[in-house]
Amino acid sequence: MLLPFGLVLILALTILIFGLPFGQSLQLLFEGALGDKFGIHRTILKCAPLIMVALGTIVAWRAGMFNIGGEGQLIFGVCVGGWIAAAAGGLPAGVQTPVILIACGLGGALYAGIAGWLHAVRGVNVVISTILLNFVALHLLSYLVRGPLQTSAGTIPQSEPVDKAVRFSILDPQTALHFGVLLVPVFAVIVWFLLKHTTGGLKLRLVGANPNAARASRIGVTRVQVIALMLSGALCGLAGGIEYLGSSGILFDDFSPGWGFLGIPVALLAGLHPLWAVVSGLYFGALFAGSKNLEAFGATGSALVYAMQGAAVLAFVAISRFAVRQTEEAKS
Amino acid sequence: MTKRFGPVAALDKVDIALYPGEIHAVLGENGAGKSTLVGILSGNLTPDDGDLSLGERKLSFRSARDARKFGVDIVQQHFMLVPAFTVAENLALFALGDSSRVVEHAREIADRLGWNLDLRARAADLSVGALQRVEIVKALMSDGRILLLDEPTATLTPNETEDLFRVMRRLREEGKAIVLITHKLQEALSVGDRVTVLRRGKVVVSMPAQGVSPGQLAVWMVGDTPPELNKPLRSAGSTVVNVAGLSIFGERGETVVDNVSFSLSAGEIVGFGGVSGNGQVELAEALAGVRGSIADDVAYIPEDRQRDGLALPMSISDNLLASARNRKEVSFVGVLVPFKVRSWCERVVAKFGIKTDSIDAPASSLSGGNQQKVVVARALDSEPEIIVAVNPTRGLDIVAENYVHSQLLEAKRRGAAIALFSTDLEELALLADRTFIMSGGRLLQGDNAAELMGGLE
Repeated sequence: MLLPFGLVLILALTILIFGLPFGQSLQLLFEGALGDKFGIHRTILKCAPLIMVALGTIVAWRAGMFNIGGEGQLIFGVCVGGWIAAAAGGLPAGVQTPVILIACGLGGALYAGIAGWLHAVRGVNVVISTILLNFVALHLLSYLVRGPLQTSAGTIPQSEPVDKAVRFSILDPQTALHFGVLLVPVFAVIVWFLLKHTTGGLKLRLVGANPNAARASRIGVTRVQVIALMLSGALCGLAGGIEYLGSSGILFDDFSPGWGFLGIPVALLAGLHPLWAVVSGLYFGALFAGSKNLEAFGATGSALVYAMQGAAVLAFVAISRFAVRQTEEAKS
Repeated sequence: MTKRFGPVAALDKVDIALYPGEIHAVLGENGAGKSTLVGILSGNLTPDDGDLSLGERKLSFRSARDARKFGVDIVQQHFMLVPAFTVAENLALFALGDSSRVVEHAREIADRLGWNLDLRARAADLSVGALQRVEIVKALMSDGRILLLDEPTATLTPNETEDLFRVMRRLREEGKAIVLITHKLQEALSVGDRVTVLRRGKVVVSMPAQGVSPGQLAVWMVGDTPPELNKPLRSAGSTVVNVAGLSIFGERGETVVDNVSFSLSAGEIVGFGGVSGNGQVELAEALAGVRGSIADDVAYIPEDRQRDGLALPMSISDNLLASARNRKEVSFVGVLVPFKVRSWCERVVAKFGIKTDSIDAPASSLSGGNQQKVVVARALDSEPEIIVAVNPTRGLDIVAENYVHSQLLEAKRRGAAIALFSTDLEELALLADRTFIMSGGRLLQGDNAAELMGGLE
């Protein structure tokens, strides 16, 4: 109940600390995010990759695998997708789209699998391995768009665009809202179903909640952990794939503005619940969409959103810890 | 002193007196209240009732630091050293105030005790015995009045143990009051000047050690000697599990289970008794397949329901499903069918009398006894061929305990092979067809319960 109120309060405080005119800022934010068709579509486009990465984060974190490598998995995913796109040019467009998308997902899964393998075989801490692999993926992309995948046309470091027919169809040409965003709620429901209503999801949650208990129930803990991490990577790869085939179909250095990181707070604010991740993603998507309007006040627009995102997650985590302690005390 | 955790009194009006120049052995089974006593003496816990005093002076420790300042030094059961640091660095880390004299001071102490301590070695490279020597030197550096040793011999070799006792006697001569927490009778009698036996939070006896027999101590620790330890084999069927020459090694390569052989037959309950910490849990885990699978149809009731049994934040139904997840009553090709799950869980909750408002409530909302029922229920409901249970009635009231016992006997009647690990000899006498006593990782068979209690060789 308190959550929406708290979020607005934190937003208000952040605006005050940034020293922006209060009423005007809120109004601009709102108009930029939800004021008209353009705002609403912008919000939806912004939230799609955030929600997908959040779903990936949820799958891994619920299994106790603190994957911080969404960014790397997303980027490695689109690298594989880009490579397949370049190689599969001869296939019919209707086949290419799913093939590229699946390649992105598989790429993300394989990349997360490296961290999973290191964890299983050498006991390497997943937080560290996934963080470090982010940098490897970033530089791999940077190499690819200057080398093997660089457009034949020119000297700009970017890939050949994917053919228009292969990309997602555009729902609204004015705002570039594309068909791919519809996949996001579908994946949210799939993840929710997997976690809540399958034996695999039960195993995953048990491993995350108490690996000893999982072991005593004869669950292969390491196996489940690695699978969870790879599923997480797949969802992050798909986040990149949806964006890749939904926008211009071009890969370049700054293809991802940090979605792989920004999705983590979205997952946390959703309490690691896949369906709430849609709501939490929409909220942050709206803030990012709206913050474009604040750039009238200088470069503070999106900085404000980042600051507010961090503050909101910290507050949320602290409050939920507090709530847990309250109930425990009430019990004893 | 009295200390309660929820409704349970871990210590119930316990009186204990420490004298300078005396080694005071505190004996008790797991759960007898030893750790709580250590916690209070070391300032980590505050008693709910009762007080501490030195002569006429009342003491109140608000933190471990207070206790240290007053002069209570502890050698913890688990080493409190930073593995990547050298011995000298570890000592400096712990020193109160001035750390410049640490090396000199440590060397003085080590010399006095006749030890050769390599201060530049990394803690990670030291043997268990050497780590313990570091811990003792660390404790002695603040030169307190009271030295608490919490189960110090658990991981030591016999030679290292002997050396530790030599040093303890030495420190006694220097006038320290030494408290030795242990569950090994022989140790208490060989170094202790005075023994105090705790059972279920109460002092059973506190007296000079001289003239006390090990058998008498064992009886004080576990209660009355059971009337009959070995029962004739009843109606056992074919052999289900055959264990031959099984040894298990601990993390540091020490032998925890030592060349053990036995068999389990359908329709019998084999008991494994003895003071805990003598290899029971390791053997149980090996049997249950927790340490690598041996059979498909084993149900396991682990010793510690909170650590190894339940996922506390998850719902009661999820916890029940943990081992029943693949059964036809609840799932179909990997999908948990909600209405089936609900009716199965509700049936199990009713059958085993688990008291809860909703199967969707987290397992942490249950009382200890009801948590245990969840663990027992999910193990027994599937009618497994083999059951491995470790202290399955710990923390249960009489009614629940009787229920678990009747369920185990029912499983036996059905033809299950049951390995029952219990520190409660009465429980074993009641249920087991034959009983082994585990001591130092080995299986002993005999009829004098007191003589077979752990630590006696």
